Amino acid sequence: MIVRLVVALAVAALSIVLAVLWRRREGRFDEAEGSFTAADLGVVKLDRPSAVLVEFYGEDCAPCVTVQKRIGKIASEVPDVQIVSIDAGARMDVADRHEVRRVPTLFVLDSDLRVIWRASGVPSEDAIRNALLGPNWAGRPAPKTARQQHVRR
Amino acid sequence: MSEKRMVDKNGMRGGAGISAIVLLVGFVFQWRAVVPAIAVALAIGSLFGLRYSPLGATYRFIKKAFRLSVPLEPEEEPPPRFAQTLGFVVSGIGSLLFIPGWNAAGWALALLVALLQGLLAVTGLCIGCEIYLYVQRFKTREVEAH
Repeated sequence: MIVRLVVALAVAALSIVLAVLWRRREGRFDEAEGSFTAADLGVVKLDRPSAVLVEFYGEDCAPCVTVQKRIGKIASEVPDVQIVSIDAGARMDVADRHEVRRVPTLFVLDSDLRVIWRASGVPSEDAIRNALLGPNWAGRPAPKTARQQHVRR
Repeated sequence: MSEKRMVDKNGMRGGAGISAIVLLVGFVFQWRAVVPAIAVALAIGSLFGLRYSPLGATYRFIKKAFRLSVPLEPEEEPPPRFAQTLGFVVSGIGSLLFIPGWNAAGWALALLVALLQGLLAVTGLCIGCEIYLYVQRFKTREVEAH
């Protein structure tokens, strides 16, 4: 009986440990390499923004809706960022090339479409803002309007 | 885009938490009947839709009885329904393993279901849903290849 109780508690504890590990990783932006092309993004010509935020989403993906709401809010605050949403199911060639294994997955690109940051899962609004405007932003200053907004926060 | 039925993700998490607790308590007291009972509950959700799942109904009952103010979080049904199917298969096999007396193997599968259900309840991470999305992508790739 005691052994079984210990096993049951161990299973419960393992759930919690896995949950903590997963939460720490979920939605975290990590530095990444690679680059996109305008064709990858499904655009002929970009408006030369300071940053491009690429979101891979899926048709049946509920967390993607949460991410899209957050991105929509941030897009209204940060005018110099171009948002590109890609249906990972419809553009699997692009998803495979960039090793997108789950949705949502976000990429932050510089103006030359080089990958700076990458996150899988649902990042917080602050995490997205930091990826776009933070001090590690490709060593370059953030767009003026956006930086002023960032400082105010 | 085709219209898909929505389910409450928090309801799913609540139901997963209930099933995890039931399986763990059943394991401690060696109530083998809880494993097929959970398998049947998962099968009902899988076959008829999550709105008919006894686990979801139990969650809604508890939520109402204790007036819990947990918000509705709509989510499309296919991925969690697929996850329930996987849960049913694993717990169903676990139930069958009890028949020839392979109790340890039966409980091992039941504890695996409890672990994954516990993870879903605590974090919202639905492994079965992730597998569903992988399968969908694989199927689409196969169609494109032909």
